[in-house]
Amino acid sequence: MVKILSKRLGPVEIDETVTLQFPAGLPGFERCTRIALVERPSLAPLVFLQSLDLPEVCFLATPVTAIDPGYQLSMTLEDLECLGLESLELAEDLLCLAILGPSESGNFTANLLAPVVIHRKARRGVQAVRIDSRYSHQHPLGGEGAPCS
Amino acid sequence: MLVIRRRCGESLMIGDDVEIEVLECGGTHVKLGIRAPKQITVLRKEIHLTGRQNRLATGELSSADMSRLLKSLR
Repeated sequence: MVKILSKRLGPVEIDETVTLQFPAGLPGFERCTRIALVERPSLAPLVFLQSLDLPEVCFLATPVTAIDPGYQLSMTLEDLECLGLESLELAEDLLCLAILGPSESGNFTANLLAPVVIHRKARRGVQAVRIDSRYSHQHPLGGEGAPCS
Repeated sequence: MLVIRRRCGESLMIGDDVEIEVLECGGTHVKLGIRAPKQITVLRKEIHLTGRQNRLATGELSSADMSRLLKSLR
């Protein structure tokens, strides 16, 4: 077990044997190659992607289907290779998360352009930046902008 | 926006050191070759946007922000 003082979670103990390997890191955070998926039932459907290399780096994420139930995943060959897969059709046990964050205007958005795809069995992950422009890197979240009731 | 018409095999220069060559043209795709000094980062725009969004996503978050975020997900 490794103890980390997480920016979002406070002190957490992480089992290194279940850590996910992100061989390429994440864009802007290329040094973050070991990431733990931390879930807190009281905060579902929110999950945390905590870096073990940089404790100050912790992403908030949620399954893409919680944002867009019809989301169609598309990955480059390089990204599939990062997960040790040859094709998306043959892949099982993939978890597809959208990183949540504010836009420049402060509203929360989800990055559907670049989902974090985790191959649970292989314990590998990659942020799969799409090559098409079908989805936005700042997809507005449901409740945002709605008038207060 | 500056628009320049080029054919396959032709190049354009950005400054003195960056060269962009059109290698292949297809129906919906073009293949570009880029020659640039090592210190210049060349990225697909989607990766650049994601890097910037990732940095925004790791910024400070108050507990009020967290409850607002949870509310918008549930």
